[in-house]
Amino acid sequence: MPASLRSKSFVVLALLPALLIFLVFAIIPIFWSAYYGFFDWKGLGAAKFIGLNNYEMMLQDPIFWRALKNNLILVASAIIGQVPIALLLALLLLKNSWFNRLLRSAVFLPMVLSTVVVGLIWGYIYHPQIGLLNQVLEVLGLDSWTRAWLDDPKINMFAVSIPINWANIGPYLIIFIAALQNISSEIGDAAKIDGAIGWRKLFYVTLPIIWGTVVVTIVLCISGSLKAFDHVIVMTGGGPAQSTELLATYMYNNSFTIYRYGYGSAVSTMIILISALLIGLNYIITKRRG
Amino acid sequence: MQGTTDVRSSDSNGSLWRKPVSGVVKTLLLVYAAVTLYPLYWLMISAFKSNQEFFNRPYAWPQNFQIDNITRAWDLGKMGQALINSTIVTLAAVVLTIVLGTLAAYALERFTFKMNNIIKGIFLLGMLIPIHSTLVPLFIFMNKIGLLDTYWSLILPYTAFELPIAIFLGMAYLASIPREVEEAAMIDGNGWWGVFGRIIFPLCLPVISTVTILAFLRFWNDFSFALVFINSQALKTLPLSLSLFSDGFGTDYSLTMGAMFIAVIPTIVIYLIFQEQIMKGMVAGSVKG
Repeated sequence: MPASLRSKSFVVLALLPALLIFLVFAIIPIFWSAYYGFFDWKGLGAAKFIGLNNYEMMLQDPIFWRALKNNLILVASAIIGQVPIALLLALLLLKNSWFNRLLRSAVFLPMVLSTVVVGLIWGYIYHPQIGLLNQVLEVLGLDSWTRAWLDDPKINMFAVSIPINWANIGPYLIIFIAALQNISSEIGDAAKIDGAIGWRKLFYVTLPIIWGTVVVTIVLCISGSLKAFDHVIVMTGGGPAQSTELLATYMYNNSFTIYRYGYGSAVSTMIILISALLIGLNYIITKRRG
Repeated sequence: MQGTTDVRSSDSNGSLWRKPVSGVVKTLLLVYAAVTLYPLYWLMISAFKSNQEFFNRPYAWPQNFQIDNITRAWDLGKMGQALINSTIVTLAAVVLTIVLGTLAAYALERFTFKMNNIIKGIFLLGMLIPIHSTLVPLFIFMNKIGLLDTYWSLILPYTAFELPIAIFLGMAYLASIPREVEEAAMIDGNGWWGVFGRIIFPLCLPVISTVTILAFLRFWNDFSFALVFINSQALKTLPLSLSLFSDGFGTDYSLTMGAMFIAVIPTIVIYLIFQEQIMKGMVAGSVKG
């Protein structure tokens, strides 16, 4: 066998298994999902083609819009919460001292915990009777503030967002530290000579330099928040009365609780379209500004 | 001249303030870290308390450590079986990811062919797919081919979604290895498979260890795939068993704490050993995604 043919057969055999598994279990499902989205199908019996009916139903369902709004609340809370806190911590933990390393590890730790564990622990913290939070408030004399944090539809989305933020700050911290450590000390010296110190240095020198990194973290916040599912399923299951429903839990509950596979597929397709839209939008906006 | 004196004065001003300010900052940072770690600490102490103590002295150190919760969770709560299931599924998916990912990375990094960029593009695109949007179609598909409710229904999707990270981290690492090494091995009479098995794979061990740790954490902690694809009690993984725990055992809170303790310990031990690698690897993986 000639050498070129031999290397060709090696490439094909080396790539094929990975490509096959990836296509079958990650890429092709998206197309199936788009296809099933045009059908009314309960899992048993024949699927009935109904065109765009599922999408019409979705757009008319107030729960869908609530789920979308809740997802956007999570996106906003991630951008307002995770990014500034991570940046502030990164500025303070910039030097590689043992103290700073220790704190970085502590901040990152929740990231490696199972989402189910995070959800269960915080479910206990929020528990109206045995919960840590209410007990602390009582000790502080703030009895009037105590409530059923995950049941009250006015605040339960914010209660849900805190553990998600808590668990996800770590990676942003490390990203910012890497970006800040990349700024050469000459720039810092030059800024100092020009009188830029403290907050002025942060806003006029540091932030513009790491702006690209900030954009990356915002994109990660968006895609990460749209993926939110586990914490909510464990803490509230989307309830009570679907008040904490997210797009993913809405899809899950429709598909696997009431077995509307066609409708669930349409929601899946919508999730992909929305995340593509949001990421594209963010890309355009930040590109123009940067 | 004016400029330099200004700098000096602001500098000395800075050092005058630096000590007390940095003391306050350090304290605040410690408080932040303590708040971050507190839920985990609370889980750890609660796992060793009786239910009565859990209610009466929720924040106190356990009066007498009792492992009753953990042994009961292990037997009664089937956490032992769940631990075995998680281990099997995680191990198999990690091995598949490593072998297939490194092979694909090698083929894509070292060989030029027509489809090269297209295939890279497909893998890159795959990193943007929200995993949950594949749950319904995968459920239907695996139901059809009889994979549903087997170990494979987790192993194959896990591998598929971890392959892009394994491939891109692998390619970045391979780019730093000079080609002369392989050419020498070729002259020694190795085919491409020999070169890969004897030279490339061992050389890639550093990046393979990073991918292994990342894949381990992702597979070990996965909830959504297990929730949808696994139904039999005998096949449930740790996160899935845990999620059902609070339903099944109602108000037996310290039992649930014991079960969580079992699930959390392996990841914390791995984290304590490999934390630098985990932090860097997770960031590399997420940024590329």
